[in-house]
Amino acid sequence: MIRSLTLIALLASLAGQVFAADKIPRLANGKPDFSGIWQTTSAAEFDLEPHAARIDAPPGAGIVVGNVIPYLPAALEQKKKNFAQRNTADPRLKGWTLGVPRGIYYPEPFQIFQRQRDLTLVHQFGHSVRTIHTNGTDHPGGDRNQFWLGDSRGKWEGDTLVVDVNGFNDETWLDRAGNYHSESFHVVERWKYLDANTIEYSARLEDPEVFARPWDLSVILHRHREKNFQLIEDYRFTLDYEQHYPPKPPATATAQPSGKP
Amino acid sequence: MKTAFTILLALALTPLAQAQQNKQQQSQKPLAGTDRIRFEPTYTLIDSGKWSGKRLPDGQPDVEGHWSNTVGNHNNWTDPQGGIPGDPAPPRKPLGPRAERAPSRVTDPASGEVPFQPWAKAAQEDFLKNFHNPTQPQYIEPLARCAPAGVPKSFIWHGYEIRQYPGYVVFLFNSGTRIIHLDGKPHLPSSIKLWNADSRGHWEGNTLVVDVTNNNSKALFGRTGEFASENVHITERYIFSADGQRYNYVATFDDPSVYTRPWTATIPAKRRTEKDAVDGWHYEVALNQAGKQSVIERDERICTENNIGFGHVAVTPAPR
Repeated sequence: MIRSLTLIALLASLAGQVFAADKIPRLANGKPDFSGIWQTTSAAEFDLEPHAARIDAPPGAGIVVGNVIPYLPAALEQKKKNFAQRNTADPRLKGWTLGVPRGIYYPEPFQIFQRQRDLTLVHQFGHSVRTIHTNGTDHPGGDRNQFWLGDSRGKWEGDTLVVDVNGFNDETWLDRAGNYHSESFHVVERWKYLDANTIEYSARLEDPEVFARPWDLSVILHRHREKNFQLIEDYRFTLDYEQHYPPKPPATATAQPSGKP
Repeated sequence: MKTAFTILLALALTPLAQAQQNKQQQSQKPLAGTDRIRFEPTYTLIDSGKWSGKRLPDGQPDVEGHWSNTVGNHNNWTDPQGGIPGDPAPPRKPLGPRAERAPSRVTDPASGEVPFQPWAKAAQEDFLKNFHNPTQPQYIEPLARCAPAGVPKSFIWHGYEIRQYPGYVVFLFNSGTRIIHLDGKPHLPSSIKLWNADSRGHWEGNTLVVDVTNNNSKALFGRTGEFASENVHITERYIFSADGQRYNYVATFDDPSVYTRPWTATIPAKRRTEKDAVDGWHYEVALNQAGKQSVIERDERICTENNIGFGHVAVTPAPR
């Protein structure tokens, strides 16, 4: 009787594995393996807050929990100023590093390479590389410099990767609508598989110089599964001068290729 | 501390300062407990063959870690320790005979010269003649504008890190990133040209063999102006020594639109470890702690946004 119960239990667990189509990838140490190329389908990049369609943005319900970013009064004025100047002042327009968390919900792919000790995030847009350390180290603090992507230290809570990010500069925006932060910015990200091809990414954003209280956002990331899909580098900031290189043979030297005007 | 660090980096930003820094390194006694990294006058021969060293769980030879070249930066492609010809601020100590310096990176042909077609040779010499006082945009060294260093210049710029994953070898350079795909997928369409090109690799024993296409060739090879065109096909062989401490980058450049024949470059590299002095150049790392254990990390390298050149990390701006 006990033997047959054991057999049934064994069969049930085997069947469970066979039918668990959404079994998530794992590293050798059993932690979730987020390796892959990811991208959001949301309109978060255009405006984190709910917004109707406008000339430079598709409509979107927003990804801010509670819909409204709780700005301090002076910071709200700055945000409005940013919004008014968004078509010239957004650092994205220069092809610059988007920062955290904007690079995650920017509608272009990024690739995660993962080892036990860290995750390496290569963003197609913004040409920059972020390391999330998962080796038990803490923020170095001290006189280390500020970072465009902050300093990221992760730890596991079950199958959720919780990443504490600080050490930011104040040069990046949060979206195209001019939402922004100061050097006191602090982000806590939570990365969690919903199924083998879908990550739920959420973040708590805190900045005592800009926000009245911490607030949360949440967005879904999808795995790129197209055949032979790969990142293609984007150094668009070189477009102003790239046409001058390399030297051309005399026959074509007069026909200058057209770069950005 | 931050100020001193910034000044040290600022010193590293100009060829002149680089020369001075090298001089300082030569004249100072080694730091206690560490070896200051100096350029070597010779290359170390490493034969292709079986890999007998450590392996990663996916079977790749384990070559992860921090590396830098051993003979010189990108001042001079064919005379790596010869400085930039025509430099108005040459090193105070005159150069000795050519034979005392590291040989040309061009290891085939035996002349040590890139076999340029006449127009290309003239273009290279024109670039070099104008390098020190550029009056046209094409004479400004692209790396000085924060362009990526590309292939092959990235290997003779600052130290860099190799990270490996199933299906990938990833190079994190001071100025640029290369993702080497080991999974056999086809190259990007040839109409797409990139600063860091498109790389497909596989391991043959101790050698990582990489097929490199889609190179926009805009980065040039060095301050002496050697170059390829966007038609260049580069076959790279990274030949690692059994002890995992060195490798030679041996690359064949095939480009009938620029050269009279294919030719080969060799760039020797050495692993850098915690035994080396962190010098902001060869060993450009940051130190952190895990408990009492020292942990080596790599800060983000972002050049153009910081507008201070050469992939430095962000610096707190002066109060406005």
